[in-house]
Amino acid sequence: MMKTNTNQSRGAPLSLLAVSLLLPLATLLGVAATATGGEVPDNFDNQGKKLFTAQQQTPTGNLNADSGGRTLAKFYALRQYPGSPPRIPHVVDLTFSGNETDCLSCHGKGGYSAEFNAFAPVTPHPENILCTQCHAQIQTQEPFVETDWVSIAPPKLGLSFLGSSPPPIPHTLQLRENCIACHTGPGAVVEIRIDHASRGDCRQCHAAVSQSQPLTEFTRK
Amino acid sequence: MPIFSYLAIPKKDARKTLCEELSTLEHCQIIPADNQDVVVLVTDTPDDHIEKKLQHTLKSLPSLQSLSLAFGYNEKLE
Amino acid sequence: MKLDRREFIKQAAIGSALATAGSLFPGISFGSWNRLAGGPGVLAWQKTPCRFCGTGCGLLVGVSDGRAVAVKGDPNCTVNKGLCCMKGYHSVQALYGRDRITTAKVRKNGTLVEVPISEALDLVAEKLKQTRDTYGKDSVAMYGSGQWTIPDGYVASKLFKGCLGTNNVEANARLCMASAVTGFMTSFGLDEPMGCYEDIDHADVFVTWGNNMAEMHPVLFSRMLSSRKRRAGVKIIDFATRFTRTSQAADKSIIFKPQTDLAVANAICYEIIKNNWVNDNFVTTHVSFHKGKTNIGYGTEDHFTFTDSAETIDYEAFKLFLEDYTPEKVEKISGVPAEEIKYLASLYGNPSLKVTSFWCMGMNQHTRGTWINNLVYNIHLLVGKISTPGNSPFSLTGQPSACGTVREVGTLTHKLPHGVVMNEHDRQMAAEIWQVSVENIDPKPSYHTVEMFRALDRGDIKFIWIQVTNPMVTMPNLRRYRDGALKDDRFVVVSDVYPTPTTDVADVILPAAMWIEQEGMFGNSERRTQHFAQIVDPPGEAMSDTWQIIEVAKRLGFEKQFPWSQDNYIEPIWEEYRRFHAGPTHEMAPYTVLAERSGVQWPFVNGRETRWRYNPAYDPACNNGKDFDFYGKKDNRAWIWARPYEPPAESPDEDYNFWLNTGRVIEHWHTGSMTRRVPVLHNAVPSSYVEIHPEDAADLGVVNGDLVKIISRRGELTMPAQINGRGVPVRGMVFVPFFDESYLINEVTLDAFCPISKQPDYKKCAVRLEKA
Repeated sequence: MMKTNTNQSRGAPLSLLAVSLLLPLATLLGVAATATGGEVPDNFDNQGKKLFTAQQQTPTGNLNADSGGRTLAKFYALRQYPGSPPRIPHVVDLTFSGNETDCLSCHGKGGYSAEFNAFAPVTPHPENILCTQCHAQIQTQEPFVETDWVSIAPPKLGLSFLGSSPPPIPHTLQLRENCIACHTGPGAVVEIRIDHASRGDCRQCHAAVSQSQPLTEFTRK
Repeated sequence: MPIFSYLAIPKKDARKTLCEELSTLEHCQIIPADNQDVVVLVTDTPDDHIEKKLQHTLKSLPSLQSLSLAFGYNEKLE
Repeated sequence: MKLDRREFIKQAAIGSALATAGSLFPGISFGSWNRLAGGPGVLAWQKTPCRFCGTGCGLLVGVSDGRAVAVKGDPNCTVNKGLCCMKGYHSVQALYGRDRITTAKVRKNGTLVEVPISEALDLVAEKLKQTRDTYGKDSVAMYGSGQWTIPDGYVASKLFKGCLGTNNVEANARLCMASAVTGFMTSFGLDEPMGCYEDIDHADVFVTWGNNMAEMHPVLFSRMLSSRKRRAGVKIIDFATRFTRTSQAADKSIIFKPQTDLAVANAICYEIIKNNWVNDNFVTTHVSFHKGKTNIGYGTEDHFTFTDSAETIDYEAFKLFLEDYTPEKVEKISGVPAEEIKYLASLYGNPSLKVTSFWCMGMNQHTRGTWINNLVYNIHLLVGKISTPGNSPFSLTGQPSACGTVREVGTLTHKLPHGVVMNEHDRQMAAEIWQVSVENIDPKPSYHTVEMFRALDRGDIKFIWIQVTNPMVTMPNLRRYRDGALKDDRFVVVSDVYPTPTTDVADVILPAAMWIEQEGMFGNSERRTQHFAQIVDPPGEAMSDTWQIIEVAKRLGFEKQFPWSQDNYIEPIWEEYRRFHAGPTHEMAPYTVLAERSGVQWPFVNGRETRWRYNPAYDPACNNGKDFDFYGKKDNRAWIWARPYEPPAESPDEDYNFWLNTGRVIEHWHTGSMTRRVPVLHNAVPSSYVEIHPEDAADLGVVNGDLVKIISRRGELTMPAQINGRGVPVRGMVFVPFFDESYLINEVTLDAFCPISKQPDYKKCAVRLEKA
């Protein structure tokens, strides 16, 4: 019971954020969708087009490369709860180049950064260019006062329903529609990195089954 | 509390028998290869005495051609 | 904590042993060791085709302690090369739903009572005999599906057509594949695709015609995506009436108004001719031109009949016919800009591009389904892009053995395992192999599926035996056919594995063995026959559909025709059936070869499979000495047909102002009676919904999850709205997945069908919407 509740609360702050972020985009795409015989609307099916585009555009070498540099422990250390926007773990001169979108010069497509001696993680939502709206730069590690905040356990890995069956997608897809961004390449977290992205359609095998809902069995009415 | 892993090679045409024999033994876990006559055997015994007994049993299996050690661990050694 | 650490060390020990094995024995495979290690007993992996769609993926099923416990893709199967989709990976869980039917049930005084299966079979035989004696041979019927194994369909046909002398044998494939069959027969004279899945590795351009492959044939779709990823310049064009996951992945999405694919296909031909893209050499040598009847009706009335007649025309007459289909004129009908029609034509016309067209239900479930199949062949024939690697008009199937059982065995009213009932030679061949008198085989086809259920409603049919399918969810204009089945003196026998709306109307329920609980064969979309052994035991008294039919046949006195023993009947049935297809055009592999391999493609001649038919480099049946041999037609040519655009049976009007389109989602297969009992698939899509365009939803004042009432002239249904979900219909259209028995969308659909194929159109009827 406890777990279900906390899991559900995980989604709430995210959706609040998403409304403000996605509105301009959705409006724009809504227009495109009504054009006769024209553009494919992007804003349906969890913006699945992003996934296909990323899969097609990322060179195979980048899809398969692995640096082993990021681990799940490091990944969650930057988050207040699973799904929260991670804080920025490195120093950024926020006035650098006078252009905040410069985050995307590294995090848009990833790649090696000599400055940090690491491969930059790729953002799954590069269309949101005001990065610091959600991602905070930490100035101090000292709390103002101590907090009683308790996070929830992150989604378990490898929750296959059968031995050898592909695990379902354990998190919501909002703002994380592009599987390729986080699950492939040298910047990916080693525990969740995959090497079969050339297959092209992640959702062929991995069903979206939200862990925030208790599983139910089918019964005839 | 020793843990060992081996590659077990069955005698000719005895792969199935070997799998059956090994999987009935206590403290043993097996992973047969899909496409070759090789079986990975992992043993996890509570103490040296039982470990010795198990090794003795393994050596006496009629279906077993050879057993080669791949990994060994014993808590006492640490 | 200590346990974790120990477990960790143990995993390291395993990992180290596997690594050592890998370096000592290159290519060694340990399957899915990390999940299954520690399970009871030895895990054995056995091959089988997947239970679900017509792709025919090879699976390896892991068995432990007599239960199927895991699935992996069979790397030796060329269909899927070790990859499956989410349905395939979880398919074995469909065997273990808690409400599995394990005993026979007989309706006594209105309620179903459990009885021993032998008693139920006695009753079935007795009722069948009694009905036949009282009302005549055509008062009894058998209805199956492309989920029948080949032996299932074969014994059904032998019993009903050969022994009982009625052509009342039909299958769900009529609702699914019939237009593909008539398309092949009218264009080539022989059924089933000329190409194979290997076309995907060679084509430069893929055009999906009303075909959401990303969800319906996902394994072929991802093969297409990885082909595009691997090779430069490969393009996917999605030509559809609705935005889907396939449109998302495509390089270009072109939307047309329902039914106007007919006009667009003709416009593509017009452009090809106008721009001199015709492959003259090919057309002169290998093509002849024809026209058939027009204004052919829609079959919505009882006793509707139609017979087409072919008239040979010349190339000039065909060109003249196409004058009505300039891209500019067709833009007005179809809503597709002339520029996009020209673009499509340029892809087909460019001699340096290899083009593969894919289609399935969008073209087949169409009141002019035969025509649109013909028209897409026209395009490929004009440019000679056919029967060579990568050049392929490819008709996909939806059920695992729609090809193998329904089309090849011929479990349709007019068909025999070889040829048709109307042909005397074909009847003689059947009579000889079946050891029945040739007079026993009726030369006149009886009822196609829709008419069969109408006959049940009218009372012309009094006894129907339904196996492996769920017509009380899938029949269009459903209410009439359910009410008909429930009438007092109708006797309905249903063989199935789970309770469904069809078992709800049954007088006898027979528990069936499912998939790998029996031995059998399927035949997939690319002429591949796939054998599977019995891998696990059926539960309770469940019995294979084949053996149920044999039991009844024996009770009816046909021991001579059904002499087999329950210990070994699949092999002799296969070898008997194979005699029908002897010869280079359709030779089937012997049982021993099928049992060894992950599927074998026919024609299988001198130990060689045929990947591309009609091409002498691959096909042993070609013998005209030319570069192609279309030997199916008497004139040794492929036929181009002048087929016009005609409107659908029902279009939106002032009273019913929306199109209703129906279909599937990747998670669920057919009516969901199996996939809904797989936990992960049920949890991913627990119930059906109606997809509405966001602006139509706004006009209606509904948001995601609000209830919407869908009303047609036949019925109404209230269900939750989905906006910007899995797919987006165009404005003025709604889409409903049909898998959910709680939302029977077919009470709303129309039972209009293609007059040639008799296949209903589930993609087009008129409805209006109300906020509920």
